[in-house]
Amino acid sequence: MSAAAVQPVEVAEPDVMGALLTGVERYLRSEVDAAQIDREGAVPARVLAGLGELGVFGVTIPQRYGGAGLRLTDACRLAAALARADRSIATTVGLHLGLGTRPLVAFGAEGLKQRYLPRLASGEAIAAFATTEANAGSDLSRLATTALAEGAQLVVNGEKLFVTNGRLAKVFTITAATPGLGGAQRGSSLVLLESGDPGLSVGREERKLGLKGSSTAPLTIDGVRIEPERIIGEPGRGADQLHHVLAWGRTLMSAGCCGTARAALVKAIEHTASRRQFGRTLDAQPVVREHLALMGARLAAMEALVHDTASLEDDVPGLLQRSLAAKVFGSDGASYVVDTALQLFGGLGFIEESGMPLLLRDVRITRIFEGANDVLLTQLGTHLATAPPPRRALAPLVGPDAFALACSADVVAAALDAHREELSARHKIGLLRQTRLLNRLGRAVAWSEALDATVRAVDARRTTSRGAAALFSEVAARDVANALAAPFGEEVVSSALADLEPGA
Amino acid sequence: METPADLDARIIKLISQVVPVKPEQIKRGDRLREDLGMDSVCSMELLSMLAEELDLDVGVEDAAGIRTVADTIALAARFLRAKAAA
Ligand SMILES: Cc1cc2nc3c(=O)[nH]c(=O)nc-3n(C[C@H](O)[C@H](O)[C@H](O)COP(=O)(O)OP(=O)(O)OC[C@H]3O[C@@H](n4cnc5c(N)ncnc54)[C@H](O)[C@@H]3O)c2cc1C
Repeated sequence: MSAAAVQPVEVAEPDVMGALLTGVERYLRSEVDAAQIDREGAVPARVLAGLGELGVFGVTIPQRYGGAGLRLTDACRLAAALARADRSIATTVGLHLGLGTRPLVAFGAEGLKQRYLPRLASGEAIAAFATTEANAGSDLSRLATTALAEGAQLVVNGEKLFVTNGRLAKVFTITAATPGLGGAQRGSSLVLLESGDPGLSVGREERKLGLKGSSTAPLTIDGVRIEPERIIGEPGRGADQLHHVLAWGRTLMSAGCCGTARAALVKAIEHTASRRQFGRTLDAQPVVREHLALMGARLAAMEALVHDTASLEDDVPGLLQRSLAAKVFGSDGASYVVDTALQLFGGLGFIEESGMPLLLRDVRITRIFEGANDVLLTQLGTHLATAPPPRRALAPLVGPDAFALACSADVVAAALDAHREELSARHKIGLLRQTRLLNRLGRAVAWSEALDATVRAVDARRTTSRGAAALFSEVAARDVANALAAPFGEEVVSSALADLEPGA
Repeated sequence: METPADLDARIIKLISQVVPVKPEQIKRGDRLREDLGMDSVCSMELLSMLAEELDLDVGVEDAAGIRTVADTIALAARFLRAKAAA
């Protein structure tokens, strides 16, 4: 088995998540007050304990360690339901299920799993994941944290920033440079640390714009001595493993974006149906109707893309690539839906009691964490340029309900492919340094994949709204054409920049 | 006329401009990711610089599958031969 190969998970009964969700949604309705969490800056311990009792922290942990052994698609349904009630809770749980425990589940040695997973599955221990450092943010290859062999032990030193669940977690997976380990001279590894390890200290809670109930804190790792068995998976293969766990994290985060967007859309529908201006309710205004329809269309596409992405759980390269699209499309979409919903609330949307300011504050980080969107779009464009994934035309594959939509999706995908070919013929390998072009290509890929996912959702009858799908197909065609238009000229950009001297 | 050793040295020097590793520490067998610490964006940039520096007509798809310093040198050598033959 290759170093980054994923160990298989046992598959649970198909209806387990449905039953769990019913209980979780009931619990969230009766026990969770998002405004209070925001005001107090923490999710009450009794809520976390209650969610633990319902089994929320173990959904993706294999059954033999006390979890439910469910699939990524199921975990995404849970993340969406949690985010619909409160984004801080969704972030706490989503981080635990994704970046927090996935390294151990996918790559951990049996001994390490037996030692930690049962407590993580019950929620007795919450997990965190720490890779970001002062000089290693978007550029994850610049890690200064090291884990160096000293006798029979490893000594870990470094500083990590912005660690979600930082002040709650008992188990931390960190990334560290491990020069020479596993034969990799400049390799890195995923290392497991415990909150009680001498030398490990968690700094003060960050004061944030939003997600105030989710803990975010720095981590100081000062000469922490651990046994080498605390390295998760094969030493020196941290970069490969990191890509895998980031793909999980991004997918769960995108599912949370669907929950946030749904919460905002439902509020907007209710508000515009009751508020009267100009002698009629707001939702009778043609412009407002179009806004609501576009928000619904976007949300349908987000949900379809998250479902398609999570279904790629067993196809790791596919998941890596598709999760880039889902993350950008989901976070951009949630930001758009929340912002438009707030606008439809008018002045009331600016007032805390409407609940809209909280949604707006909470959604903002989604375009930054789990990879800043522009960085991910460039990666997505690079993927397409170097190894274009084979795409089969959808029209011959779908039933009559989805046929017209599939034809539109095929036209969009063909335009994208022709554009890619033209760029690669024109720039050859130099295309890889044209990051503005790659970034735009990435955006076109994300929207085209969202359209493909929407077609498949209609065909499989996972979405009830063919109207929303049809509207999204028009939106996607325009957005992709816009993304494929030539970027602004370098001279225009440079001369505009020259006018922006510091202090101007 | 450039010898294979010259080409090795030239490419290793180019690599040392992309990653903080001295040329004398870079070996043909080094893996771009695990031994030299390049991420995928960085290794793509290297190949693009290489094509520019040696004035080679390398296609963007040729970048896929390059994992080691030796792969990079082999790619350059292949395209230099093609250029000489043209
Ligand atoms: C609330 C919160 C929770 C977090 N949780 C975690 C966690 O649990 N674990 C963890 O390890 N980290 C966590 N982070 C860190 C987060 O993942 C990083 O902040 C994020 O990846 C961006 O890195 P950076 O902040 O260093 O931004 P930088 O790398 O400094 O980038 C700043 C901006 O520059 C632009 N940019 C940078 N590079 C490029 C490029 N190549 N092309 C185009 N544009 C570019 C982008 O607009 C980007 O937003 C968290 C952060 C926050 C705020």
